[in-house]
Amino acid sequence: MAKEGSGSILQFAPFQSSVDEGFWHRLSSLKLNKFGIDDSPIPISGFFAPCSHPQVSNYLTLLAESLPSDSNEESSIPAFNRGNRNRCSVPGILYNTNTMESFHGLDKQGLLKAEAKKIWEDIHSGKVLEDSAVLSRFLLISFADLKKWSFHYWFAFPALILDPPATLVDLRPASQWFTLEEAESVSTACNEWRNSSVTADVPFFLVSVGSDSRAAVRHLKDWETCQDDGQKLLFAFYDPCHLPNNPGWPLRNFLAFICARWNLKTVHFLCYRENRGFADLSLSLVGEALITISQGWREHQCVPNAVGWELNKGRKVPRCINLAKSMDPTRLAISAADLNLKLMRWRALPSLNLDILFSIKCLLLGAGTLGCQVARMLMAWGVRKITLVDNGRVAMSNPLRQSLYTLDDCLNGGDFKATAAVRSLQRIFPAVVAEGVVMAIPMPGHPVSSQEENSVLEDCRRLNDLIGSHDVIFLLTDTRESRWLPTLLCANTNKITITAALGFDSFLVMRHGPGPFNSTPDLKVEMPNSLSDVLDNLALTNTDGKQRLGCYFCNDVVAPTDSTSNRTLDQQCTVTRPGLAPIASALAVELLVGILHHPYGIFAEAEIANSNNGGSSELPLGILPHQIRGSLPHFQQMTLVGHSSNSCTACCSTVVSEYRKRGMQFILQAINHPTFLEDLTGLTELMRSANTFQLDWDDEIEDADDECIEL
Amino acid sequence: MMDVFNWDGTVSAKDFRIGALSFAQKWESLNSAFPPWSWVPCPKHPWLASPELFQEEGYLSLENICISRPYEVDIDQNSQTDPGEEETSCSEKEDDIDDATLVQSNHHELHYCDFHIVYSYTFRVPVLYLRAYCSDGRPLLLDEIEKELPACSSKESPETKWAFITQEEHPYLKRPWYKLHPCGTSEFMKLLFLGGDTGQPKLEVVLELYLLSWFSAVGQVVGLRIPCKMLNDRR
Repeated sequence: MAKEGSGSILQFAPFQSSVDEGFWHRLSSLKLNKFGIDDSPIPISGFFAPCSHPQVSNYLTLLAESLPSDSNEESSIPAFNRGNRNRCSVPGILYNTNTMESFHGLDKQGLLKAEAKKIWEDIHSGKVLEDSAVLSRFLLISFADLKKWSFHYWFAFPALILDPPATLVDLRPASQWFTLEEAESVSTACNEWRNSSVTADVPFFLVSVGSDSRAAVRHLKDWETCQDDGQKLLFAFYDPCHLPNNPGWPLRNFLAFICARWNLKTVHFLCYRENRGFADLSLSLVGEALITISQGWREHQCVPNAVGWELNKGRKVPRCINLAKSMDPTRLAISAADLNLKLMRWRALPSLNLDILFSIKCLLLGAGTLGCQVARMLMAWGVRKITLVDNGRVAMSNPLRQSLYTLDDCLNGGDFKATAAVRSLQRIFPAVVAEGVVMAIPMPGHPVSSQEENSVLEDCRRLNDLIGSHDVIFLLTDTRESRWLPTLLCANTNKITITAALGFDSFLVMRHGPGPFNSTPDLKVEMPNSLSDVLDNLALTNTDGKQRLGCYFCNDVVAPTDSTSNRTLDQQCTVTRPGLAPIASALAVELLVGILHHPYGIFAEAEIANSNNGGSSELPLGILPHQIRGSLPHFQQMTLVGHSSNSCTACCSTVVSEYRKRGMQFILQAINHPTFLEDLTGLTELMRSANTFQLDWDDEIEDADDECIEL
Repeated sequence: MMDVFNWDGTVSAKDFRIGALSFAQKWESLNSAFPPWSWVPCPKHPWLASPELFQEEGYLSLENICISRPYEVDIDQNSQTDPGEEETSCSEKEDDIDDATLVQSNHHELHYCDFHIVYSYTFRVPVLYLRAYCSDGRPLLLDEIEKELPACSSKESPETKWAFITQEEHPYLKRPWYKLHPCGTSEFMKLLFLGGDTGQPKLEVVLELYLLSWFSAVGQVVGLRIPCKMLNDRR
């Protein structure tokens, strides 16, 4: 489509910028490792190529190679080679500031003028004839916010303003301007120019077509020799723009150069464009421009005005790009962890419910050997919200067995375990939402004086709140009696509760059954609709019915009492084989994941590993047992079932309803009076009547002894 | 020589390199819809003396492929301009536009993709790495990529059920790229060659055609189809 008629101002399509992510990575690394706070201007190179697509313009691109290479860098970035036909390099300068204020405070007018002056000088000194790419010199200002990983930047492509502006006499596709023969010859000559590594990246050149229709492509410096009559002479340049009615930005300074250097008033130009790597003369344009030179141009000292700041979607504002997702190590860690779990789901476990793992809140009572391992395992499964409760400090012997602590945590008397553990979790995975609570758990059989009563009640309330605000509670303390109160509180609110307990060479991992009352099950686990029917049934038939699975205390015939005093020293320190804690902790977490994936959750029936269901269970994660007891001497593990007991000191309906009636006073009484719980639950009665049965009693005593001493 | 029945679906690094170069050649001559793949060498230890020990590592690269559909896409609002920028910048008195500047009203935002075929020493198979970006260089996130390449996330067709996109550090460029996870590759490569009823091919033939067959499956996930004439060409 030809554009005729004099008088219309020649309008150029502005250059557009494109910054490859690698450029910002490299700039960040240079800033951190080399430049520091030095903000002197940095020489850079931009790359562009002639338009290669009829509908899309090419951009001036910055890559990692655009920044100067550094011999100290162990980089995988090769220095760019000249002669690459797709990467014509253009010199530029980068002003990278250290603060946002100084970025906005840069004298943009002044900087643009300075670059325009450089172009002007290159025109007059003859540098353009040697290295014409300097006509397209550009400017970049930036501010790299290396805390937020966001980069603010603004390009300017300085163009000397012709005053008055050049007018367009004619503009048409090159194929319509040349004859068929000429066109063919021009294409061939241009393709040769583009294919030779010496000239491939020279963006400004001359095309002369003789009267014999033979075309030749020449360097700008050969202009004098192209002054034959009868020869058509075109000023050609690599045009990044694709538009049919406008030439690209590089022509602006080219015309300024031609006018200043050779004093021409009429210029025939060729906007060279390609398609699939070859000259495309129907996409390329040939035009004729009229230039009126003002007086000022003759004077070298008088630098013309310039324009060229790049618009951002039509507005005069800088651009901003945020690369946190690919540069911020925390984000990368989160993304990697997520993808790892998704990979597991994709490859092996399509029914894996990641949402529930990401959202569930776990409370760990105890931050010792079990607590540390459970916390790590939970994070490995994608659990992000973990609270640890422990009132102890990290001792010198702890780091060996308690996997979140190091020697530093032991110094100066030792940090509180709860806080040290949280710090450690955050170092492992910064996105974890971990909280540490330094608190002792009130225990029955450890009476408190009246002065301490208030603070103990406060601790009870606090524990109650903690349990209320979490979905899963792990009982990982080192005494039996410290598990009593949490068990009661969890039974009262039907929280998923998992106990892990260690002997010297044996362990117990179990999930508590639901509490005796199901009126307001505060279930956070996703349940199918049919569960409401199940719940109703349970409520009708089951207060302490045998269907309900038991808790840690259901098998006990004595109430929890003070098990720590009156023991010898080696019994006071819990001594266990080191392998036990990791095994038990891992099983505890795997058990939790099983519960979370069971449609009935806390109400799920117990399954036992036996030859009947050997291997293939209905659920993809396998069976969901009630208790797992393991023994290291035999390298053996058993799954057991224990149902709830009517006389359980922690979860039977009597106890829970007393608690509901009397609240903290009830707790206090249990703490202060060792036999209170036994009386309440009728265990006292049970023991009295049991005395009359000699034979049975012997068997029971043995088990009871085992329970009291070992665990 | 191992026979094809015992073949585990993997290739050696050397076979990968040979196959890659031959794949690139075939692609260039028979697939004119796309630009050619180029081999990017990554010399591992350039300071080691003996050239015999020097085994050239590298990968195939195909870059700047436009993956957007050819209509104008609405520019998403939350990416570029910082609202805080407004106040300071508009106070520019100087007019940045003169009469000779064309002001364009429509803004094409096109998305491009770079593809690299890299050899994995762990899995002993080729892996397709990709990353996508806007015309101004802003990288695209996975969900944006999946919008342009819907086959990425669909698990329905037999080819795409092997497709799982994960983000990992590019082994040579040391930056996060997306890749099609290779853990299923050896299995489906075995199926491709041994599952058919075209008889038992010789192992040498299998290795020669390895990259071509691999790409015919994997490329579909990212919208790069191999024309039939490439698959049928047995030269």
